[in-house]
Amino acid sequence: MITITINGKKIKLNKPVTILEAARKSGIHIPTLCDHPMLEPFGGCRLCLVEIEKMPKLQASCTQQVTDGMVVWTETEKVVEARRAMLEFLLVNHPLDCPYCDKAGECDLQDNTMKYGPAIGRFKEGKRKHPECYDDPIIVTNMERCILCSRCIRMCSDVQGADAITITNRGNKSYVEPFSGGRFDCEYCGNCITVCPVGSLMSRLHKHTYRPWYIEKEVETICSFCGVGCSFVAQIRGDSIVRVETRPDLGLNKGLLCVKGRFGFDYTVSSARLKSPLIERNGGLKQTTWAEALSHAAGKLKEVKEKYGPAAIGAIASGLCTNEDNYALQRLMRSVIGANNIDSTTGFFYGPAQRFFEDIFGQGATLNPMQGITNSDGVFVIGADPSAVTPVLGLQVRAASRKGIPVVTVGHMSGLKRFATCSLNPDAFSEPALLNMLISGLMKKRPVCGENIFFEDIIKKFMLSTSDNISDACGLGKSDIDKAVDELNLMTNPAILIGRQVVQRSDASVLLLQLSVLIYLLNGRIYLISELPNDQGLVDMGCQPDTLPGGRPVFSDSMRKRYEDSYGAEIPSAQGMRLMEMIQAAHEGKLKALYVMGENLLLNLPDTGYVKEALLKLELLVVQDTLMNETAELAHVVLPACSWPEAEGSYTNFEGRMQHVKKAVHGEAMEGWKIISEIAKIIGVDWDFLTVVDILAELTKVSPVHKGITYSEMDSGNCLWPYNGEPLRDIAKDFVLPDTKLIKREKCSGRSYLSADQQLFHSGTIGRNSSALNLLMPASYARIGSALNEKLSVKTGDTASISSGVKSAELDVIIDPDIKGMMVFVPNTAADKGALSFMKWSMNKDFKNPALDGNEIEISKLRSKAEEVAA
Amino acid sequence: MIVKQRAYEAKEALLMPALYAAQREHGWMSPEAMKSVARALDLPPATVKGFATFYDMFRKKPVGKHVIQLCTNVTCILSGSEDLLSMLSDKFGIAPNETTTDGRFSLVAMECIGACGTAPAMIVNTDFYENLTKESIFSILENYK
Ligand code: SF4
Ligand code: SF4
Ligand code: SF4
Ligand code: FES
Repeated sequence: MITITINGKKIKLNKPVTILEAARKSGIHIPTLCDHPMLEPFGGCRLCLVEIEKMPKLQASCTQQVTDGMVVWTETEKVVEARRAMLEFLLVNHPLDCPYCDKAGECDLQDNTMKYGPAIGRFKEGKRKHPECYDDPIIVTNMERCILCSRCIRMCSDVQGADAITITNRGNKSYVEPFSGGRFDCEYCGNCITVCPVGSLMSRLHKHTYRPWYIEKEVETICSFCGVGCSFVAQIRGDSIVRVETRPDLGLNKGLLCVKGRFGFDYTVSSARLKSPLIERNGGLKQTTWAEALSHAAGKLKEVKEKYGPAAIGAIASGLCTNEDNYALQRLMRSVIGANNIDSTTGFFYGPAQRFFEDIFGQGATLNPMQGITNSDGVFVIGADPSAVTPVLGLQVRAASRKGIPVVTVGHMSGLKRFATCSLNPDAFSEPALLNMLISGLMKKRPVCGENIFFEDIIKKFMLSTSDNISDACGLGKSDIDKAVDELNLMTNPAILIGRQVVQRSDASVLLLQLSVLIYLLNGRIYLISELPNDQGLVDMGCQPDTLPGGRPVFSDSMRKRYEDSYGAEIPSAQGMRLMEMIQAAHEGKLKALYVMGENLLLNLPDTGYVKEALLKLELLVVQDTLMNETAELAHVVLPACSWPEAEGSYTNFEGRMQHVKKAVHGEAMEGWKIISEIAKIIGVDWDFLTVVDILAELTKVSPVHKGITYSEMDSGNCLWPYNGEPLRDIAKDFVLPDTKLIKREKCSGRSYLSADQQLFHSGTIGRNSSALNLLMPASYARIGSALNEKLSVKTGDTASISSGVKSAELDVIIDPDIKGMMVFVPNTAADKGALSFMKWSMNKDFKNPALDGNEIEISKLRSKAEEVAA
Repeated sequence: MIVKQRAYEAKEALLMPALYAAQREHGWMSPEAMKSVARALDLPPATVKGFATFYDMFRKKPVGKHVIQLCTNVTCILSGSEDLLSMLSDKFGIAPNETTTDGRFSLVAMECIGACGTAPAMIVNTDFYENLTKESIFSILENYK
């Protein structure tokens, strides 16, 4: 126990910390400019100087550790004098243009100068001149104001790991700059803006539009872009969000955000926002009243049900919608329509992957707290680049790497390239061969221990036949494999991050089983890279054709009865159709009506041409969404739902953390769950849902895992799996070993394959409606590697023609030397040129999700950029 | 660019020699030169730029064939380097940090080059000259065509 005295107040501490930390903990304010809670101590600005008894000189409290018996004074005359002097130096070059500066009112330099400093200096020399720079679309830099505290640099290098900015030159001429000197071309997380104490780095998006003191309301809420579920404070003026801000102690992201969360929220006010209901009339969508739209949708649903039976109706849920919306849709389908035909694109990856691992390791096996990644002793990433699709999760991997924890990545992962201790980039689709080699290598070093006889039996049955010719099998060398096995062998409780690519392929079950073996051997914790804010919640709400809310199987009579009693309706025991089965059924004319909530099927499903044909055959297509999109254009009824900041609700993130999404602004549309319950009411069932509180109350009654959850528990930030509920246990006995024969593939060399690019600046569905994000990634592209380019000989910016069996289009090319082989990466952000629209698919027999591997495409040069400019 | 990563533990340690090598090839710290160093050492380009712009001996703009770097720090000034500088300026018609139109010389007013005992001193490209006089300086420069 260490006891110190600050300003006469006795403080007891368990472990040595800095004086600044001790002071902060006990509510004593010490001014700082270079120190920031999100960064390591630096000791550069000397504003935090304090007087320590028995020490002759003033000390910087941000770097000075406390010792037992230390007596500290933070505001003595000597200290105040020193601070005034430091500020005078800082102001030598500072323009003091506060009236023009956006930071005024929340500027540390302004506040401290007001408290301690002379606003006039004694220097006669002129101040340095360096014009404000508008070369970047998002970040404005004003280097005349910079006090060179280096917070931004440390944030960008030590936390974000982007190393995009630096201090150039020296002395008086030092400026913070990106490499280009103008455009940042960085990850645009904006975390440097968060930490800049002055108005040197600012967001251009709301520049000169308001003053900090004009903010009328601040609402703590959850980001709507990905499954990490970062917290931030939405600052509201009038009826719009002007900015989102973070706090170093808020949420699991602890002050960090990514580009989507920080800048992308303006999709909610895009021109594509749906405000009033639309109904199809004479071949076009026309505005109508809520009453007409709702009664038309409900009436038609009833009619189709009566005419063709409930199984002719399907519903698509969405990981972009809240738990409450998804719960309501599930209830509509099961208890009012009477069918289990409910699924979503979450069923393409997240759902089946989770189910697979839960079948082996028990319910909740994939729900692990995020901080486990930096507290582990190894990280293994496969299937997606978390630093692109779930950026704040990616930061955890980078932080682990920085701590010296071994990081092994499989596949093309630009964002982790500098952080992986071992990056394995096998040939296209050869991951199973690679994993085989890793597993057998590892088992030689670390034989199975007999802990789980059941699973070890499976491992034994699952014969590993390793090929002798490693390079033939996966295009890597023996030394690569050996190194990876050595790295893996160092791990005793690693974090295993698994993404989409592992499951959207024909041999998904082999890969998942291999990963399970690896997880078992390494004693790993599973993290599923959840791309949508509520993938987990959607699964928990029962929006799968075979599970009820709380993950209870629909075929179990005893479990179904519990829900039937509560809903007062019979729920069919047979599993419903999966999403692609519904599309096929619609194409065959068997599915007659589809209720689509928050999903753009014509963007996020493969072979969109086929999907469109299917949708056109429907007798009723209801689209409930916040934004106009290609799917809604085909609808018979379009029901505008409240967008993310306009309604109360909750999301469940990839850790199984339930978080409260709050209403921040007023919207003209109707809450999603309310639309659904209105429809139920017109069909004849009144649910009595007045607010989301009623829905949550019902959920917590029917779902055994969600017992007793309240919004205030969510607000505490600790509403974590397994909540207070009863998870299902011990279902591993039912596990059926999938067909584990490795698929024989023809050698891929020489052919080009298409894959969906993982885009940091875009989330597709909603992100493409953000004008801020569109500034960063205006158009679709084809990213190719050097090997393919030897054949094409194009330059970045040139135009290529791309054609698959189902579609051809022109795309601009980006050359990325890190891409191996002949892969072509196209982002799935534009409906007309999205990666998925080019793709053929086949039904994965185990998961009934679309397998997208082996999508061969033709790519050829069309014209060079120079020609285009000349023309 | 040929830089071998041998005796150096951290890539950063190789940065200075790599930048010199790049400057020899490219003549100055052009964005391409800095990028090629970043690629060769697998370092972020911004980090390379921070280093390259910190040191005066890495050129921030293109220079002539020969670079005259005359010290103008205290000792050299006391020993007459200011006069030498203005003589050079007059003769070649360029101010410090400029390059002659024929591209033969660039003139740089240097901070201390550590030759106070034999001031005034200058470095031409990588050659060192000391105890300069009004006469000697021109005959030395005659050797640089
Ligand atoms: S926005 Fe993020 S990546 Fe870009 S410079 Fe700032 S901290 Fe670095
Ligand atoms: S730009 Fe801001 S954060 Fe960066 S060094 Fe200057 S004052 Fe500090
Ligand atoms: S990481 Fe995900 S949740 Fe966090 S700010 Fe980015 S998009 Fe939002
Ligand atoms: S805050 Fe301590 S020196 Fe800057």
